[in-house]
Amino acid sequence: MKLKASWLAAALLAVAAIILPAFLGAYPLNVARSIMTYMALAVSWDMLLRSGQISFGIAGLFGLGSYASALAVLRAGMSPAASIVFAVLFAGLVAFGLGFAILRLRAMYFSITTLALMEIFRIIMHNLHDFSGGPEGVVLPAILFNGEAKALYWICLAGLFVTIAASVYFEKSKLHLALTAIRNDEISARTSGVNIFKYLLIAFVATSMLQGLMGAIQVQSYGFTMPDTAFDANFTLLPLAMALLGGIHSTIGPMAGAVLLGVAAEWLKLKIPYGHLVVYGLIIILVILFMPKGLYGLAKDKFKKSHDNRVKGKLS
Amino acid sequence: MSKLVTRELSKAFSGLVAVNKLSFSMEEGEILGIIGPNGAGKTTFIHLVSGILMPTSGQIEFKGKDITFSPAHERSRLGIARTYQLIHPLENLTVLENVMIGSVFSRGKNLKEARSAAEAICAELELDGLGRDTSQLTILEIKKMEIARALANEPEVLFLDEVMAGLNSDETRQMIGMVQRIAKEKRMAVGVVEHVMGVIRELTQRVIVLDSGELIAEGPYEEVSKNPRVMEAYLGGAA
Repeated sequence: MKLKASWLAAALLAVAAIILPAFLGAYPLNVARSIMTYMALAVSWDMLLRSGQISFGIAGLFGLGSYASALAVLRAGMSPAASIVFAVLFAGLVAFGLGFAILRLRAMYFSITTLALMEIFRIIMHNLHDFSGGPEGVVLPAILFNGEAKALYWICLAGLFVTIAASVYFEKSKLHLALTAIRNDEISARTSGVNIFKYLLIAFVATSMLQGLMGAIQVQSYGFTMPDTAFDANFTLLPLAMALLGGIHSTIGPMAGAVLLGVAAEWLKLKIPYGHLVVYGLIIILVILFMPKGLYGLAKDKFKKSHDNRVKGKLS
Repeated sequence: MSKLVTRELSKAFSGLVAVNKLSFSMEEGEILGIIGPNGAGKTTFIHLVSGILMPTSGQIEFKGKDITFSPAHERSRLGIARTYQLIHPLENLTVLENVMIGSVFSRGKNLKEARSAAEAICAELELDGLGRDTSQLTILEIKKMEIARALANEPEVLFLDEVMAGLNSDETRQMIGMVQRIAKEKRMAVGVVEHVMGVIRELTQRVIVLDSGELIAEGPYEEVSKNPRVMEAYLGGAA
């Protein structure tokens, strides 16, 4: 029963998200797109986090997806749609190759290496003048759907839906058992037959493909990119803050965090330019100090406590 | 054919030889006691056999197949399972999920099959409240869960590393009965590491004694316990 109710709520929310453009103008739709992009990145970051690996490489794979898509159009003459598919596969392939090196690292060493990745990709794009356009970046001949705001909203929403579906699959399938076991205790996981490297590689490649997908959609929607935009550290930091605020190790937590922080940031941008960055910093500090499980974790604990009390009440 | 054989198995930690040229074998359906004073290398030996540590030299065979350097997860699929002296519950999973993991990843069952297999194992061990977090379990329940997790691999060789430690005498008796039942019903070879000699006497048909990584005696408990080398290892040399 409970399961059915939550599926129904999800379906209603999805329908609401799909018909939203009927009620909104171009500017709010742009804001919505930005929030959805960050939301997808936050969810994808969390998917890998469920295995205990803290990645700071979101912006790296996002930017890689952007450039793969843009350059596939410019240098190989692909159609925008094909270039998005190409970017997803390319990000996956790069992650697969890199995974063999970096997934042997743990904790801080893994995090720092993924942070370095972002910088390495950025520097490569910065310096390959003839191929990547160098620091000035690249301009596409045309924007997807001629820049029609509603269409761009829907393609971004499609990317988000793919991410959410993947995340729910991670939660419902045996991947949930494997990744949680790896996060909790690798030795114990191995003794139960979990091939740790295999499941880390699956999670890393899948989340990298999702991040590449969002990057590709982004570049095709704006029609241009440059190294400092594609590999902007905000694409790492904001999803992280959103997931932490909303509640990690879940799909719904990072989504809620993205809506809250995304809307707050838009509002703050108008009130105090750049002030939203200070607020982000404060939120990360306060959440880590006082609410390490995030809003979703807090709600779950509260619900559980009241449920436990009710059970106790019945027993006594 | 022996289920598990080691030949001249050694493990050195930069100079300290924790296991030294240990050769032994385990047969189907037997309960083998592994005893020795603290630091004798019992747990290191189980780490080597289960693939958590790799040996410095020597050989391990499982049903005639060389598994000396196979990764731990492959050995668990082949049929070697173990529990840990220092308990390793997976805190973010329920009791049932903890047990299911072995069925899913060692036996390749889907989630539904694994769930019913795990429920059956827990029922056999009289472990209930399977929806609970592991933090809510008593020590006896945790030990049972550890055994249930090992059994979910459907092993042919099972090592129990001090599963009786911390249990009171009633619980210990319950556990002894359970281990005997498991070994008999499933024709499993069970290796038991235990410090309580009463348990070893009651449970095992054969005992190996380790001291400073070496096998110093082997045989039925009654015989081994009278062996002067064993007494020296436990009580120290004659003054």
